[in-house]
Amino acid sequence: MRRMAVAPQRRTELLRGVLDLCLLAVMAEGPAYGYEMTRRLRERGLGIVGEGSIYPLLGRLERDGLVETYRAASNGGPPRKYYRPSSTGRLALAVGVSEWRAARDAVDAVLAPVKVEVA
Amino acid sequence: MSDFVEQCRREWKRLGVPDPLADEMSADLTADLEEAAADGVSTEELLGAAAFDPASFAASWAAERGIIPAEPSGRRARRRPFVLVAFTAVAALVLIVAAVALAAGKPEVSLVAVKKPHAFPTPAGIFVRPGSSRMIAHTNAAAAPFEWVLLVLAVVALGFAAWLWSSWSRSRPPSLPA
Repeated sequence: MRRMAVAPQRRTELLRGVLDLCLLAVMAEGPAYGYEMTRRLRERGLGIVGEGSIYPLLGRLERDGLVETYRAASNGGPPRKYYRPSSTGRLALAVGVSEWRAARDAVDAVLAPVKVEVA
Repeated sequence: MSDFVEQCRREWKRLGVPDPLADEMSADLTADLEEAAADGVSTEELLGAAAFDPASFAASWAAERGIIPAEPSGRRARRRPFVLVAFTAVAALVLIVAAVALAAGKPEVSLVAVKKPHAFPTPAGIFVRPGSSRMIAHTNAAAAPFEWVLLVLAVVALGFAAWLWSSWSRSRPPSLPA
């Protein structure tokens, strides 16, 4: 029971530091509004379900000048607020991806020898 | 507009978020929630723990956008338990008092409905306006003992408090945008 509770918490902590990069990455593929970004993340297996909301984070990216926004009509729906990375945001994405890969490789090097056996 | 968005709007109004910005965020959130619902995604699935605490969600969003000053971390988290503790304590106290009063003997104070055609003092000494129907405290009456009413109210209040504690504990895990 305790192990089941710890797993989502660890996942939350792991995602906390890179969700901004993930958002910048999916909006770099093409401008997107809030829910569209959630959908793109989910299509890649990154369901942030139950782990937080992207809206405050989008607000922070906007405040920090890492994204540009504009309003446009969506397909048959009301006008939506679209986000895309600014030039500063693209630079932050590049730097962040580099840092993530370095961290991931280092952690992999430590964890690789571990043999996982689930009872 | 969903109940969740309505609660967010109330919080933004309380925090002094300008109406145009509140309108914008409400419209974006409403459109996203509706599109998510069409995909079979619930508010809880879209917003995570924030779905259980619209006030904190709204405040966090406005603060991260720089619309309002960021609330010192932990202040809201501390305030809610304080209110919950006080509410739970009062409900428990009422429960104990009612239980003790009932256990001590035959209830002596009752609530009875009265409707008097003319104003005159009641046996209990409470003056009733002509034509009005109201509950009055009455001694040695057989109906609706006051202690029992208190006991039931206290049990209901404690049940509500338990639900609030449960909701609060579910919303405690930190959301991703710190």
